[in-house]
Amino acid sequence: MENKYDFEKKYRDQILKCSRCGFCQAVCPVYGSTLRPALNARGKMLLLKEVMDEKIELNDDLIESLFQCATCAACVKDCPSDVDVPEIIKQVRKDMVHIGSCHPAFKGMNEVLQKHTNIYAEDEVPDFERKRGQRAENVYFIGCVGSYREEETTDATLNLMDRLEVDYTLIEEVCCSGVLEDVGFEINKDLAERNVESILATGAKRVITGCPYCWRTFNAKPDYAVLEQRGVTVIHITQLLKEFDWEVKTEKRVTYHDSCDLGRHCGIYAEPRLTIGKIAPNFVEMPHNHDDALCCGAGGGVRGAYAKNSIAMARRRLKEVEETGAEVVLSDCNSCIHNLVNAKLRKQKFEIRTTAEFINMLMDEQLKDDSIS
Amino acid sequence: MKEKIKQMLIDVVGDNNFTDHQIDMISYSYDASEHRHRPICGLRVETTQQISEILKIANKERIPVTPRGAGTGLSGMAVPIKGGIVLDLIRMNKIVEISIQDRLAIVQPGVVYAELENALSPHGFFFPPDPASGKVSTLGGNVATNAGGLKGAKYGTTRDYVLGLQVVVPDGRVMRTGSKAMKSVSGFDLTRLFVGSEGALGVVTEIILKINPRPPATSTALATFDRLDDAGRVVSQIMFTGIIPSALEILGRHTIQAINQNTDLNLPEVDAMILAETNGYTAEETDFQMEKVISVFQKNNPREIKLAKTEEEARGLWMARKSAYGVLARIKTHFVLEDVTVPMANISDLLKGIETIADKYHLQIATFGHAGDGNLHPQILYDGYDAEEVARVEAAISDLFHLAIDLDGTLTGEHGIGISKARYMPLEHDPVALQMMRTLKKTFDPNQILNPGKMAL
Repeated sequence: MENKYDFEKKYRDQILKCSRCGFCQAVCPVYGSTLRPALNARGKMLLLKEVMDEKIELNDDLIESLFQCATCAACVKDCPSDVDVPEIIKQVRKDMVHIGSCHPAFKGMNEVLQKHTNIYAEDEVPDFERKRGQRAENVYFIGCVGSYREEETTDATLNLMDRLEVDYTLIEEVCCSGVLEDVGFEINKDLAERNVESILATGAKRVITGCPYCWRTFNAKPDYAVLEQRGVTVIHITQLLKEFDWEVKTEKRVTYHDSCDLGRHCGIYAEPRLTIGKIAPNFVEMPHNHDDALCCGAGGGVRGAYAKNSIAMARRRLKEVEETGAEVVLSDCNSCIHNLVNAKLRKQKFEIRTTAEFINMLMDEQLKDDSIS
Repeated sequence: MKEKIKQMLIDVVGDNNFTDHQIDMISYSYDASEHRHRPICGLRVETTQQISEILKIANKERIPVTPRGAGTGLSGMAVPIKGGIVLDLIRMNKIVEISIQDRLAIVQPGVVYAELENALSPHGFFFPPDPASGKVSTLGGNVATNAGGLKGAKYGTTRDYVLGLQVVVPDGRVMRTGSKAMKSVSGFDLTRLFVGSEGALGVVTEIILKINPRPPATSTALATFDRLDDAGRVVSQIMFTGIIPSALEILGRHTIQAINQNTDLNLPEVDAMILAETNGYTAEETDFQMEKVISVFQKNNPREIKLAKTEEEARGLWMARKSAYGVLARIKTHFVLEDVTVPMANISDLLKGIETIADKYHLQIATFGHAGDGNLHPQILYDGYDAEEVARVEAAISDLFHLAIDLDGTLTGEHGIGISKARYMPLEHDPVALQMMRTLKKTFDPNQILNPGKMAL
């Protein structure tokens, strides 16, 4: 039988190895919020198997399942058959786009990034009261969510880096466009080139990203390989912060939300905890933590395409925060922060912040206390 | 389905809980077995009353109804082989009551096993029959299949813990069986009849479960044997020591080889490996029991014995056993996982017989399982797109079932009959027993609407 689609060529054996055990059902955040087996990893693999067996067509009828995956990779960790579901989903989305079956929100995202420099199609770029494109040792790359939706968090992060006397500059950044690969399209080469040029022009030897997804894109996508070739390393802000010691502390009970991009996809669990351990002795883990963490529901295009379910996923996570009794939940992904803040209920009184923002706040408070005394 | 009937069903469950979308029909057409068949529609139910009304409609209109939990069954029980309605019970997921003083928990059928475990843990209690799929499987499904697990040797199976049920029978009437009391001999034991009835007699909507205090201490040891007969003798002789291990697991040569080829565990490639765990309230108690087990190991020519000194070491010893299913699941595109069970003394004969069958049909059959209750899991690995190999697998399964019955055993220890083993029912049950089962089915379900096409009913 000739393979009709690229997903078959690349992943046929993996899809067949799905033994339908359903273990993914225990961890899939989309299933957890909808209780609909058609939406978990097994449900998706069954659809693809039926497509391969020519029992059904790959068409619009499958969009609701195949385009509703946060690509959080929780299923991969627990899969006895080692099926790499997120990679399969990314490939089948490309096949579907190719034949003209695509969720309108994803199509829209691609169109926006062909015309605009960010996923929100915002024309006005916040300046964060800092010059861009200066010569510096580091480039701080904010990312779309940090630039246009979580500006206060970004302000605080920049202030913290100033306080730490990190030699950095912002650049005229554009969307890294890595997300397009997740939603059925290709990375926008023009945008990637603009970022690479802007970074290299500063002479910086290091890029610090505020967004774990940008970090993944810079480190993994061939369009950004030139950075490594030119001796530029890319780190995430958590990897910078872990090098510092702090004179501030909080007595508040603090918990931590591992973002899927930073955690399961990049394996960064220890660094944020090292930092938090120095400032928050009253730290408590949520029941699901490290590679077992619950997804906030923002990834894989789900927030844009299935907002209601995305918020439901965030609410499940916030319920865990609530149950720990924490007064603060920290996370180092602006996208997670954005979704969790949007989903937070009025009765939930805890703060939701990035680690950098929280430390900066503690420093502000200390300054205020010092000036009073 | 006629538009009028569809509307009647929607009137019962609401628009959002009726589905005939293709993606849902496909997900409802499978479980973890090799069988598949699409239903006409799926109904996501939330109350006993809804189920009662649905069954009244289905019974009148003669529409097949297949109850479904997590869909993790291994013999096709949740596959709607005659089409009709899939009754999705996953939203009936409330733990109604935990009563420590009465030693019981009352749950709805859609509660996942692990959720009950989490709820019992702070009280120092647990629900012993722990299927490998416990993170996902629902208690309704565990009741319908009479699920077992790793602790079966000491703690038995689900049936031993079900005190009572609420059931909707196929004509829509609702009944209660059993009692909240720890013991009851009041009338026929309908509760035990329903446990393991594979959703063919009624839809269980509430379950009263006996729960156990969890002994906090365990000891773990592992022994390897160059010869299968020695391992077989170990299993039999442990019973004479007067102690019952909380787990007594066995891995056969082909499983060990597969684990070595696919992991870095570097196990000795012996005929058999036995893992034993004892549990109790103090370390002295578990160690005392483990010493007895180890003395049996020592008498039977072990190549090596390892006793875990720390919890981490214990986890290390469990690693091989716990990785077996996953390792085997990755080797070929298809597999069948059987669960034949024999009296414990016949375990080594069963293992040897399985190897003979594997050689006869040139198949890769890796075996592991619960030696402590005579329940083995031969996992046959094959390419499901190779018709000739599929035919050999089917012949091997037939031989395997004959072997189990010849060894005074049973077709299934914990997975159930479903579709997979239906045609082998006459091998185990005489015509009178089969006739009685069919009569029972007719008494409960004269129109054959509930989970039809299963268990040779």
